This record gives sequence, structure tokens and C-alpha cells, in this order.
Amino acid sequence: MTLPWTLAHLVTLLASPILVVGVINRTKARWAGRKGPPLVQTFHDLVRLTRKRPVYSGTTTAVFWVAPYVMLATAAVAGLIVPMLGVGSPLSFRYDFVFFAYLWGLGRMALMLGALDTGSAFEGMGASREATFSALVEPAMFLSLGTLGSMAGASSFSQMLTFHGADPAVVVVRVGCTIAMTVLLQVESARMPVDDPTTHLELTMVHEVMILDHSGPDLAAMEYGAGLKLATGSALLASLINPFGAGSPRLLVAAAHLALMLLIAVLVGTTESTIARLRLSAVPRYLLAALFGAVLALLASIWRTGGAL
Amino acid sequence: MGMNLLAVAGLLLLLGAVASLVAPRNSTRMGFALASQVAATALVLSAALPVIAWGTAIEATYRWSYPIDALRTRLDPLGAFFLAWSLPMTLLGAVYAVGYLAPYLQKGRNAGAHFALLNMVSLSFIIVYTAENALIFLFGWEIAAVAAWLLVIWDYRNQKVRFAGFNYLVSTHVGMFVLVAAFMILHSQTASMDFSAFAPFLSRPGTLRNVVFVLLVTAFGFKSAFFPFHTWLPRAHAAAPAHVSALMSGVIHKAGLFALLRFTLMLGTPEPWMGWFLLAFSGLSTLLGVLYTATQRDLKRLLGYSSTENVGIAGLGFGVGYLGLAWHRPGLALVGFTGGALHVLNHAFFKCLLFYAAGAVYRATHTVDLERLGGLARKMPRTAVAFLVGAVAISALPPLNGFVSEFLIYSGLLSAEAPSGEERILLVAAAALLSFVGATSALSMVRAFGLAFLGTPRAPEVHPSGDAPPSMAWPMGLHLAGTVVLGLFPAAGLWLVSPVARLLVDAPAARGPEALLAPLRTGNALLLGAVALLLLATLGARRAARRHVTWGCGYSAPTPRMQYTGTSFSSQFVQVFEAFVLELRREKLPEGPFPEAESHVHTHHADAVERRMFESLGNGEDLVRGVAHRIPEEPRFAFAAGLISLVVILALLASHAGGAP
Repeated sequence: MTLPWTLAHLVTLLASPILVVGVINRTKARWAGRKGPPLVQTFHDLVRLTRKRPVYSGTTTAVFWVAPYVMLATAAVAGLIVPMLGVGSPLSFRYDFVFFAYLWGLGRMALMLGALDTGSAFEGMGASREATFSALVEPAMFLSLGTLGSMAGASSFSQMLTFHGADPAVVVVRVGCTIAMTVLLQVESARMPVDDPTTHLELTMVHEVMILDHSGPDLAAMEYGAGLKLATGSALLASLINPFGAGSPRLLVAAAHLALMLLIAVLVGTTESTIARLRLSAVPRYLLAALFGAVLALLASIWRTGGAL
Repeated sequence: MGMNLLAVAGLLLLLGAVASLVAPRNSTRMGFALASQVAATALVLSAALPVIAWGTAIEATYRWSYPIDALRTRLDPLGAFFLAWSLPMTLLGAVYAVGYLAPYLQKGRNAGAHFALLNMVSLSFIIVYTAENALIFLFGWEIAAVAAWLLVIWDYRNQKVRFAGFNYLVSTHVGMFVLVAAFMILHSQTASMDFSAFAPFLSRPGTLRNVVFVLLVTAFGFKSAFFPFHTWLPRAHAAAPAHVSALMSGVIHKAGLFALLRFTLMLGTPEPWMGWFLLAFSGLSTLLGVLYTATQRDLKRLLGYSSTENVGIAGLGFGVGYLGLAWHRPGLALVGFTGGALHVLNHAFFKCLLFYAAGAVYRATHTVDLERLGGLARKMPRTAVAFLVGAVAISALPPLNGFVSEFLIYSGLLSAEAPSGEERILLVAAAALLSFVGATSALSMVRAFGLAFLGTPRAPEVHPSGDAPPSMAWPMGLHLAGTVVLGLFPAAGLWLVSPVARLLVDAPAARGPEALLAPLRTGNALLLGAVALLLLATLGARRAARRHVTWGCGYSAPTPRMQYTGTSFSSQFVQVFEAFVLELRREKLPEGPFPEAESHVHTHHADAVERRMFESLGNGEDLVRGVAHRIPEEPRFAFAAGLISLVVILALLASHAGGAP
């Protein structure tokens, strides 16, 4: 990637968490008949948090205050791998999506350990749910990305996501991948119908309950890290559904990509305004949808290769 | 010359073992054993490292009595790779044992036999990793098996420990019978017990070669505790002293994987089905191994099951290597074998680290029951750091070493080099399986670390007596350093492993694994830099932090019993996988609105597959016994049975006479 594009990638990466969350909140406000906060409200919130003094529970150890920054750092580095503008990424190498998935895994582990460090039953509950759901959704991610990669004959995110073909099988594979990635986005960034980011009833939450005890700059790091994951996840989805592929002019691809990211944010907000959270016991079944999407992609790729390539 | 160094090392180990058996005091016994181990390790490294560096094998033949006559030994890069870390790690285990066994020794236990056995374990490595003859190989194999059994039953006065030891002894010998059967077939075909004579037979496709392959994989599966031959493993690991568990899981049972690679060398070009067989076998091991880690209460049992998982991961790498060889894709084979072998090494580092940390927990608290531990990080910070690093590494998370080897295995599974679409899809499915295993392993490790080291102590009667003493902390520290170094500088691990992969794969120009791993450096550097920067930037805020209690929704009298337990942590996960994880429940629930009687609930997760396996075996036995009972009562049955066996024998004789000229 050239320097201007890298800079644009970094700017998008740093700004999009705030804007995506802003658009989602604005959409939800509109559905509820309110005007809603300014689009950059999250930014003000984060600044306010960084000025505050953190409060640590007497039970906690160093794990508790290191965890938020590990989570933020993994989300940021993972954001360098995903094509945030749909045209490539600054950190791109073969099988970088494996590194991407395991970076998110490290962030998740930090988050869960930070939660368990408080000794609170609520946070243990959240950590247990997070661990279970992520274990269930992880195979769908590898199945769908592996299929897409083997179909595109590519092994890095930016190559496989920008791969387009006129073949109907390619379209089916992309649809399957989109289903899987949508569910992944909902799990990883704690969105409806898997998790509810607004409730404050601890018994029902997954992500929010794990950060109950974090405060000040630590909480800001957690919030911003979660925002980064949401933004990179939407960028992934946007690249998958972007109709302009590697052949089109880059500016056009990037513009379509950003528009699609905003559209995804609006859709997330709409979903959250119109659908209720699933019962926890029903979530594993919902996660099967991701696996279904991935298997669909897999079957389509067999159909295309016709058994022999 | 090099071989003589190994022979001297072996003799020194034997002398050390004898000296530690006859020496008068425990300190001199341990001194003799440790000194001989240090000397042997130095000698072995001076012989093995040149072999790895230059990739040239050394060999020597010694005269021996009948039936072996010539004792042929050979150290190639494969054996040298295994020797180069097996002996130093055994030495570290022996150092750890000094601290771990101290309370027993103060009570007057004789340490001689235990340390002599640790010497014998090292000796068995020298024999097995250099043997060029099946009988010598079996000899070393048996020394390792018996020594490991005797090491496991250190606490032999406990009936459970004796049972676990006996279980191990039987299983390992069942595996050995299978191995002997394979060797007998090979001997019958080649009229020799030399590996060099086996090679021409094994490299020719044929039914017997296939039979031998399956037998060998089964035997090595027993040794390395692949599913379904893992049943001895959780028991033995829970019963053995921590350093013995560490050595068994990390080092001794890697001999099974070594032997697999040794015979792979003789196979020449394997057939594709062998690769698929290995992939399926390993995939099953890694899947079921990890499912059982998610529910264990006993920390050491949990780590034991995770051995089954990790040998499975290494096996996936080897399966990819087999497929690469079979399809004549040297790049794929190179990545597969390198990834698998590197995972063997990485697993040795982090698994020993985890077991040593678990041993330190046991030493301090006299329990490894997760439901009774908690908050140990404050009392035992060194052990907590060691366990945390091991946990991150075993969950294959960057930037530690577990990720490096799994990344290579992923790149093999996801590479588009398979000849047909279906095959490619199967490999992608195996990658998805591996990702599930990784995420579940993270769940188990978060659970283990979180319950034991974080939060508040769960049981009031458990008082940690302090952190690990230096003799236990040093081995932990060195393993921790290895785990970190191999993660941050994968080139170090590749230096050891690539001669092995080059031996297996004829790919002169391919720089596959190095090129694949190089970009990870950038990623890891960015990650560590970002974490360091963020922590520095928020230093001031943390200085000004206030201390308070954990938020409990306004409830101000929380007790340690209100924390999340291990069972509850994994309960939702278990619900999804009910079929594999059997919950055994013993309960007495409170009755009525004002219960007076004591009530309790006790849950325990059993290995459902193992249970069903033995149940169906038991049913078969009952069936046979039922029929056998009726035979003497019913003359017609006896007559029919006799007639059938006569016909079968005659038919066999006839077919043999007709088939073989």
C-alpha cells in the first residue's frame, strides 16, 4: 500500500469506531422517536473517561489493569490487517486472517481474565458466555474464510475479500460467507440478537457485564477496543458485499466501501430497535446459522470446482 | 566420535543411577543423579547440536552378543532434534523434583530410586532416539515405560495412585504388543530386525505395508495418548508427582511421535489414505481431548487431557506432511512436518511449564481441585505468571510459541495445493476443527487460571504456604523463557526443526516455513509495542487510582462462595456437547419452605466416550460369557462349536497350502 492509502487506512481505523457507534445510536434514537446524541458523542465520552481516576477492587491483581490495554492493542493491530477501505491493508501477508482471528482471541482472553479477576459472580457469568459463544462461532469463521481463500486462490484478507467472479458459485460462496460473518460480527462485538449492549441488568449480559468493574481510562480502552472490533467487523462485511472488485478504480471501491459500512451501521441499529435479544439458551442454536452459512459456502465451492480442479 | 560421546553419556547415566541407589544420604543420592545428568546432557548436546547444524548423520556399530550381534546405532537430525531438548528438560525435571519432593524427603523417604529412575528415563531417550535395530528400540521403549510407571507410583501407599499406575502399565504394554506385532510382520518379510532392512519393504506399496502402518500408528498412538488410547492418561497425570506428569506429557510420550516420524522416513512415499487416516485420527484426538479439558475439576487431569489435544495438533501437521508427500507437493509436506515437529517442541516447553506451576500450587495448598482454589496470584505471583504464560501459549495465542506452530499447521491445511476440490474442502474443514479446538482450549485455560489464581480464595481451609522455592522456580523460569523466545523468535525453533523436515521432504530450494513466519514478527512487535505504550501512557492515572470493593449490584456482603465456580463456568458449553461430556450428579436438595436437614449437590464430569467404550466392551464380554456358559449344558452347542472351529482350521490350512508355493 502506498503512503497516502496507509494514512487514510489509519484515519479510518481510528475514526470509524466513533462514527459507527454514533450512527448506530442515531438510528436507534430515530426508531425510538428521539433526536439522539451527536454522532461523535462516543468521542466525548471517551475523553471524559480518560480524565477520570480509575477505581480498583481490592480483589484484583495486575491482570485487571493490564487486560484493557491488551484488548485495545489486539483490536488495533487486527484493524491493520482488515481492509478498512476495501482496497488492501497496511499489514498484509499470507494467512494473515489466522493471525487476525488469534489476535481477537488474545483480546478476548484478556477481557475474560480481567472479568474473573474481580471475583464477581456476574463477571464470571459473562466470561463463561463469551468463551462458549466464541468457541462455537470460531469454526464458522475459519470454514467460510478458508473456502473463500481456496476459491480465490489467495491467502491474505485483502486479496480474498476483493476477489470477484462472474461465476454464480462465487456469488453463493460470498453469500454464505456474509451470513457467517454477520453472525460473527454480532457475537464478537456484542450486538443483538446475541447480546444487548444497552441493558444494565447484569444477569442477561455478555460483554457489558465483563467490564462492570472497569473505570476511568481502563473503561475507555475497553469501550474503544470494542468499538474497533465493531468497526473492523463491519469493514469485513462491507468488503464481502462490495460490488466493486479489484478491477475497479480504487477511489470508487473505497467510497462504496465506506457507504456500505454506514449502511451496515444503520442495519445494526435497526435490528437493535426492532428485534429482542434471544434467550441465552437459544443463542447456541442461532450460532448454528453461522455454521450453516459457512457450509453453504463450502458446498458451493465444491459445486464450482466440480470435484476436480 | 560423536556416537562415543552418547555411549559415554549413557554409561554415566547408568553409573549415576547405581550411585544414587547405593549412596548413604538423600543429598548425596540426588547429587550423584544430578551430576550425572548434567554431564550426560552436556555430552549429548555436544553430539547432537553438530548433527542438527550440519545435517549429517553419525553412526557407529558395537559388537554385542546373540541375538543382536552387531549393535547398530545412528544419530540423524531427527534423533538429534529430539535428544537436544529431551535430556535438558529431564534434567530440569530432576532439579524441580529436589524442591517438589522435599517434604517427603524430610520425613525420611529415600530419594535414591526416584532419581535413579529419572536417570533411566534419560538413558532410554539415548537408546530410542539412536536405535537402528527393532530389538534395541523395543529395549529402550520398555525402559521408558517401566521407569515412567515406577515414577508415577511415587506415592504408592495410596491405593488410587497404585491403580492409576497399574492402568498405565497395562495400557502401555497393550501398545507394546501392537508394536511387537508390527515388528514381527516386518521381521517375517525381511528376515532382519534392522531398520535399514525394513526400509525397502516399507517403501513398496502392498497390503502388508498398510497393515504394518496401521499397527504402528496404533502403537505410537498408545504411547502418545491419542484418542481412544488415552484412557490411562488423565489418571496417571493426576496421580504422579508434578515433575513426572510434566516429563511424561511433555517429553517421554513424544517418543511416540518420534517413532512415527522415524517410520515415515522408511515409508518413502506414503499413500494418500495414510495421510487422511492420520488426519482423522489426530483430529478426533484433538477434538475430544479439548472437550474434556473444559470440564475437569482437577488441574492436573485437565492438563493431562490437553496432552491428548496437543499430540493431536502435532498429528494434524504430520497428516498434512503425509498428504504433501503423497501428492508430490514438497512445499505442503515441508510446512506440515515443520509445523508438527515444531508443535512437539513447543508443547514440551509450555506443558512442562504448566505442570510445574500446577505442582507449585499443590506444594503450597495440598490440592489441585479448582473448586477449592482461588486468589493464588496474590500469594504466589511467580507461579501465577508462569501459569498465565503457559495458558496463553497452550491456547495458541500470539505472541507466544503455541501460535507459531499452529500457524504453520493452519497454512498447510488452508493452502490451495490439494489436487481436487473435495480434498481441499476436507482440509479446510480440518482447519475449522483446529480453530474450534483453539477457542475451546482458551476457554479451559481461562477457566483454570481464572479459578485457581484470580478472584478470592474459595475454601477457608486452603492456606497457601508461599511461592515456589528456587529449585522449582528455576525450571519454571527456564521453560517460561523458552516459551517466550520460541514465540518471539520463531527462527530459533525453525533452526532445530528444519533439518528434520528436510530429512523427510526432499525440497532443496523451498524456504516455505521461514517465509511464512517472517511477517509475524512485524505483527508481534506492533502488538507488544502498542501494549507497552498504552500502559506507559496510563501510568499516571493508575498511580492516582482508588481502592474499593468489587461491584455487587449494591450488595455489600459478598462471600467467596458467591464467585462463579468451575462447573458453572463450563456449564453452558457442556450443554452444547452433552453427548460427549457426561455429568454425574449426586444431590440431596432442600425440602419444603424451611429446610432443616443438610443438603448438598456434587457434580462430576465423566469421560462419556471412555465409559461407553468400556461398557460396550463389557457387554461383548458378557455376551461371550453367556454363550460359553451354555456350551457345556447344551451338547449340541459344543458339537457345533467344535465343528465350526475344525472347518475354520482346515480352511486356513488349505488356503495357505494353495496360496503359498
